Amino acid sequence: MKTLADLEQGNIDHAPEGPHLFPKDVDDVVRIVKAATESGTPIRVWGGGTRQRMGAAPGDGWTVSTARLGQIDVWEPDDLTVVAGAGIGVGELEASLATKNQTAVMPERPGAATLGGVLSTGRAPLRRARLLGVRERVLEVTLVTGDGRIVRSGGRVVKNVSGFDLHRAVVGSFGSLGIIVQVCLKLWPLANASATIRVDDPETVVKVKRPLALLETPDGLSLFVTGTDSDVTDTVERVGGDAKEGLDWPDDPVGDFSWSLRVPPALTGEAINHSAPWRYLAIHGAGEVRLASDTADGAGDLRSWAEEMGGSLVLVDHPGDTLPIDPWGTPPETLDLQRNLIAQFDPARILNPGRLPGGI
Amino acid sequence: MTAVKELRSLLGADRVLDDPLERHIFSKDASLLRGDPHCIVFPRTADEVAVIVRIAAAHDLPVIPRGAGTGLTAGATPTRGGIVMVMTGMNHIEIDVPNQAAWVGPGVINLDLSRVAKPHGLQFAPDPSSQSACTVGGNLANNSGGPHCLAEGSTTSHILGLEFVTAAGELLRVGGLAPDTPGLDIRALLVGSEGTLGIATRILVRLIPLPDDVRTLLLDFASVEDAARTVSDVIGAGLVPAALEMMDQRMTVAVETWLGAGLPTDAAAVLLAEVVGSTATVESEARIISEIGRENRARNVVIAIEEADRELLWKGRKSAFGAIAQLAPDYYLHDTVVPRTRLVETMAGVYEIADRYDLTMCNVFHAGDGNLHPLIAFDASDADVAERVRLASEEIVELCLSVGGALSGEHGIGVEKRDLMAESFSGLDLDAQARIKDVFDPAHLFNPNKMLPSGSRCFDFGGMQREIPEGAWV
Repeated sequence: MKTLADLEQGNIDHAPEGPHLFPKDVDDVVRIVKAATESGTPIRVWGGGTRQRMGAAPGDGWTVSTARLGQIDVWEPDDLTVVAGAGIGVGELEASLATKNQTAVMPERPGAATLGGVLSTGRAPLRRARLLGVRERVLEVTLVTGDGRIVRSGGRVVKNVSGFDLHRAVVGSFGSLGIIVQVCLKLWPLANASATIRVDDPETVVKVKRPLALLETPDGLSLFVTGTDSDVTDTVERVGGDAKEGLDWPDDPVGDFSWSLRVPPALTGEAINHSAPWRYLAIHGAGEVRLASDTADGAGDLRSWAEEMGGSLVLVDHPGDTLPIDPWGTPPETLDLQRNLIAQFDPARILNPGRLPGGI
Repeated sequence: MTAVKELRSLLGADRVLDDPLERHIFSKDASLLRGDPHCIVFPRTADEVAVIVRIAAAHDLPVIPRGAGTGLTAGATPTRGGIVMVMTGMNHIEIDVPNQAAWVGPGVINLDLSRVAKPHGLQFAPDPSSQSACTVGGNLANNSGGPHCLAEGSTTSHILGLEFVTAAGELLRVGGLAPDTPGLDIRALLVGSEGTLGIATRILVRLIPLPDDVRTLLLDFASVEDAARTVSDVIGAGLVPAALEMMDQRMTVAVETWLGAGLPTDAAAVLLAEVVGSTATVESEARIISEIGRENRARNVVIAIEEADRELLWKGRKSAFGAIAQLAPDYYLHDTVVPRTRLVETMAGVYEIADRYDLTMCNVFHAGDGNLHPLIAFDASDADVAERVRLASEEIVELCLSVGGALSGEHGIGVEKRDLMAESFSGLDLDAQARIKDVFDPAHLFNPNKMLPSGSRCFDFGGMQREIPEGAWV
């Protein structure tokens, strides 16, 4: 830690013991990873701390917060692009963008989640069936590899095919390819009007093609629509049901254990049945069901079914220090390829080691 | 045994070609650069692809996957010889209606997929201009775009999963119908990799519902600035039309002379916009776009409702490249992207470059996402003109990069722009890209010499130099 003595240290709530480091710029990040690579110290990359229990915990080491890398660097509303530091809160980013009627289509109920964290964990918005996930928003990423190289992929234009899309591959990579320091996103205009319609008769849903979202919880089905004023009024009349103005996004279900069940979209309803008696929030059209439970009982059976259907059951959060079940399930058949790729970006394997499927 | 003999014993004589005429036919794609393949093979199954890859490796021969050969960057040109693998025989389509998806062979023609999906109320969103000929495998390799990727995203957003053959001749599967496959997103690296990382043998694509209703608008303007302002204002008003295309006066004149599609030849710029959705949606959005157009001094706004009328408006746009043939025997088509806010100044710069080199240039492009396609019509047999085209082309790319643009929006890098990558990316950026290539294809037999300049790995930067091969540009 000699060379890092001048770095800002602080305290991150709920983070494990050990130095908590707050790099203020990309050069600080480079110094930290180089020191960690030299000493073989695992680094836990910390955004908002909302998904730190997803995947196996990295060993004892340093916790590196991206909080000081948290500003909007360039925002070009007319180009539908924004460039921001990885540590910016998703709530703060979306609030700024909304002042000019734009959105980065980030998770709607982000809590303390940061932009870098959402990318790293591949956390999806509830609007994903219509506007797709964060992977389809990422135009450019600058990251610092485990051995301290500053690498940029993509570009700051909304359409670009120059090189391998490393910037998309970092989505869901849990820091294994590098610490994300800066991101450029493709924005989307917020429509003038919106409504949340409580749907009593599921058959009426088919009257609306490509809604913003169709969500289901134990309380029932809700249809989310946006568009021009007359467009939304027309949809509300056609669907009927109890409608209110605006988008009333539900929170994820709450419990000691939270899970993400992923299945082919047509099996979403069946997935809800298989998950009983767990609490759920299902995203129809996308095949994602967010679950919460008080124990991990039944998770093995549910995972077997999901994998048989070509999907997965992922443990998102759990109490205590021991994992009740492998967090990911059966490792992918490209595991060797993944391991070899990571070795090129984090040769000493210091960035969140062991968090990915297969314990890599 | 020679490679050709081994391949013939695997595929039969009729699916392995190597006589000089056949080799000449497959020596290039739609770009101008030519190579010389060792032979051409036509696999029908993933297993055949895997065995061909192993035979190629045993003989140290490159493998160059090829769809319909419509690529414009020499991406399918066998610059280092080797086996050209034509994927068009792998053209099965399996529509999965409940999941709004389809498993397709890499050789399926883009438009055929949408035709087959249509009776199910579905379509494949990527629609490059070459869609009646180009293949889904080629779309995947180049992360192709098209007018409708403004609202729906490029090909990468429509690939849910794929099966591919690795350089070791192994068959692997990534992604699938279920979202968010745990682990690294290998699929993200394969899409747009121009056949340099793996060979797709089966592709799972996302299909989207056909819209209930469509309106196509044609707005004409006395200045390019007004048309560009309209594009920005439409997006600023919260709309993302299905398409926002622009043609300049030089292009409308060429199209009208050839086709007589009814385009206003005295307009400085013509804007083509399409909105899709419910009838209420398209009516209100079409009204808003025409109002914005008129606020920006549109001289005339035509709104087409019936399919035949809409097709007529699109005909002018889609016939642009055909119209060029009457101007000169050859054309060179650019593909760069600039931030939309820099569109007007970039266009002015592009005109200045063409005029300075005394070249015939027309513009038809995806205005909504700043994707420019300056097109230079010329006679390649005139060496002096060809040289001027080359110089002007380099200047155009440099101009676009200087305003914060990208090398390519949808055509890819191939050989054409390979050595310009260093103008867009740092040595470390390219080194990271080269490391990805090395992991997937250590012997560099999959479509070698494409995308990345030689010497991209840091340790041999000393040898890095610009070496665009003779004929890559003109």
